[in-house]
Amino acid sequence: MKLSTQHLLGIKDLQPEDISLILSTAEQFKDVLQRPVKKVPSLRDVTIVNLFFENSTRTRMSFELAERRLSADTLNFTASASSVAKGETMLDTVNNILSMKVDMVVMRHSASGAPHFLAKHINAAIVNAGDGINEHPTQALLDAFSMREKTGRLQGLKVAIIGDIMHSRVALSNIYLLNKMGAEVTVAGPPTLIPKYIEQALNVRVEYNVKKALQWCDVANVLRIQLERQNQPLFSSLREYSLAYGINRRLLESLGKEIVVMHPGPINRGVELDSDVADGPSSIILNQVENGVAVRMAVLYLLANREN
Amino acid sequence: MNILLQQVTIADPHSPYHGMVKDVLVIDGVIAQISDAISSHGVDTVLPGLTVSPGWVDIFSHFCDPGFEYRETLETGAAAAAAGGYTQVFALPNTSPAIQNKPQAEYVVHKSTALPLTIHPLGAVTKGLEGKDLAEMYDMYAGGAIAFTDGIFPVQSAGVLVKALQYVKAFNGVIIQLPQDKSMGQHGLMNEGVVSTQLGLPGIPAIAEELIIQRDIELLAYAGSRLHITGVSTAKGLQLIKNAKEAGLDITCSVTPYHLFFCDEDLQTYDTNLKVNPPLRTRQDMLLLREGVKNGWVDCIASHHIPQNWDGKTCEFEYAKNGMLGLQTAFAAVNTAVPGLTNTALANMFSLNARRIFNLPLPTVQEGAAAELTFFNTQETFVLQNENILSKSHNSAFTNVPLQGKVHGITAKGATVLNK
Repeated sequence: MKLSTQHLLGIKDLQPEDISLILSTAEQFKDVLQRPVKKVPSLRDVTIVNLFFENSTRTRMSFELAERRLSADTLNFTASASSVAKGETMLDTVNNILSMKVDMVVMRHSASGAPHFLAKHINAAIVNAGDGINEHPTQALLDAFSMREKTGRLQGLKVAIIGDIMHSRVALSNIYLLNKMGAEVTVAGPPTLIPKYIEQALNVRVEYNVKKALQWCDVANVLRIQLERQNQPLFSSLREYSLAYGINRRLLESLGKEIVVMHPGPINRGVELDSDVADGPSSIILNQVENGVAVRMAVLYLLANREN
Repeated sequence: MNILLQQVTIADPHSPYHGMVKDVLVIDGVIAQISDAISSHGVDTVLPGLTVSPGWVDIFSHFCDPGFEYRETLETGAAAAAAGGYTQVFALPNTSPAIQNKPQAEYVVHKSTALPLTIHPLGAVTKGLEGKDLAEMYDMYAGGAIAFTDGIFPVQSAGVLVKALQYVKAFNGVIIQLPQDKSMGQHGLMNEGVVSTQLGLPGIPAIAEELIIQRDIELLAYAGSRLHITGVSTAKGLQLIKNAKEAGLDITCSVTPYHLFFCDEDLQTYDTNLKVNPPLRTRQDMLLLREGVKNGWVDCIASHHIPQNWDGKTCEFEYAKNGMLGLQTAFAAVNTAVPGLTNTALANMFSLNARRIFNLPLPTVQEGAAAELTFFNTQETFVLQNENILSKSHNSAFTNVPLQGKVHGITAKGATVLNK
């Protein structure tokens, strides 16, 4: 089995079969990660560069670990410590790195479409590790993996995505993926943080009342309030956000049903999620982190196009 | 130099030969003879089977000169304009320094005297294009400024714009506005809508244009002056202008070829050449603008020729500069997007309406008149190839796109420029 694409630029470009293939491959890698020797030789002669034009800790660590578990050679590049600060263009930077015979590029960038631009100009497989407010495909894949692991299905699953939908690449990738896999999606949050055309554009429901969204859903994927992405005030204060849209134990208990709580991290504790929820029995947040490595291993392995 | 246009269709509603197929002989820049058949004996150039119209006028081109000569100069811009069939072009004041006083305006006038077409400077409305204090428009007018605009930085303050509208009444001047309220969608990169949501790109809502058009109409009514809105991109914006015209205001408008040809759906591949301002709108907007061209709501085609160098476009979509080349492909793009326009409509939209709005002479296709003409063919295929781009920059989304309609050349100021 092979992926239908050469790159992983976004979930938008994937077929449902691609998603199923990545998830089932990730299951195998998750088994590998439970063994005493957690490493396989699959990508032994492959060199991967992690190009991070935007800060990241957990995504970069997760990719790095996945690469090492696959025995790939890795190279890390972070923009702040690099020639970008000296005015070099992204294309120059990447071409310079590729001249060193690198096979794959994992890239995070603050501009939407940056990996698509790169894909037009370079000859290497590209994995999008988050581009602007567009997509974060491996996050959506690991979220789906975790949802399926916990609930046993994606088809017909009701997922509420809560928070800053407008500035969230996690939301967009999740919506594309869940739609393709037959799940239902409701987005909830302050109206100023929900794109005006989202119902038509992405076939989702919109709910401004968090409690109603929680009552409807099986899984709540709670997003981080990204103050750094907001160019103008879109809500009054973190205090008010927390009062109106924050999720705490009392709210969960008032639902009269069990739901699964997820968060892509890092959590603003006490803002979108209270600690007693984040660390409570409904939460699968740490499973998401663990599954992230397996899912990224699957993506890298499949894009490297190695036959078993 | 003399040229014989054999069996040309004459597209000039002011000419007694309008709509007729004639032979037209141009000798030393003057239309010497028009008749059914003229001998080609002793003629330098014979052009058979075209359409001829009074020379075309573009009201919104950026020649980047002075200040950004690496993108375009008056000379290279003029070459592109001539190839596109234009005999008169208005150059934007968004230069460095800006065209904001008489010497700057005169620089453009003087530098273009030797060129085969006329370049008119557009003067800044405000000093430094900052939208705050009025520039010396009276003096610039005396120095050859054809109209006034802050170009790609439209005037945001209602208080400033109303004063500008009042101020130019003294010499029957026209203010040109690009319609965009910068307080809305200020970080936007494309039209806000279904496609921007799917692409994860921040949007510029249609209302940012509609609001400022509505506001400017109110200011125009108050000032009793003359306003031209260029680059109308939304259906509602065009409707507002139509309504204002019907209410008797002296308002006119233009659209770009690319807003007639492309829409936001074309941005799926993040093609930076399609990053323009105002942004490409929805398919519905595009279709309604085409209707507006067909039924005469749109007064002129404005090329919005904005050269950007390689670095300005070969980068992440977010960092790419706005704008697209327009002069060489304007006619073919419009003729392809809105096929079947009458010769009268073409002459009006490419030449005569702009001449009326901006008080330029109306050249007529008749014997004894000075020849300021554009020769074209609506049926021929035209493909802009990279090596045939005459601008210094190459940022065109029309490169290698087959279009219908070809410009063959111009004659103006006693000289003739023919395309190969």
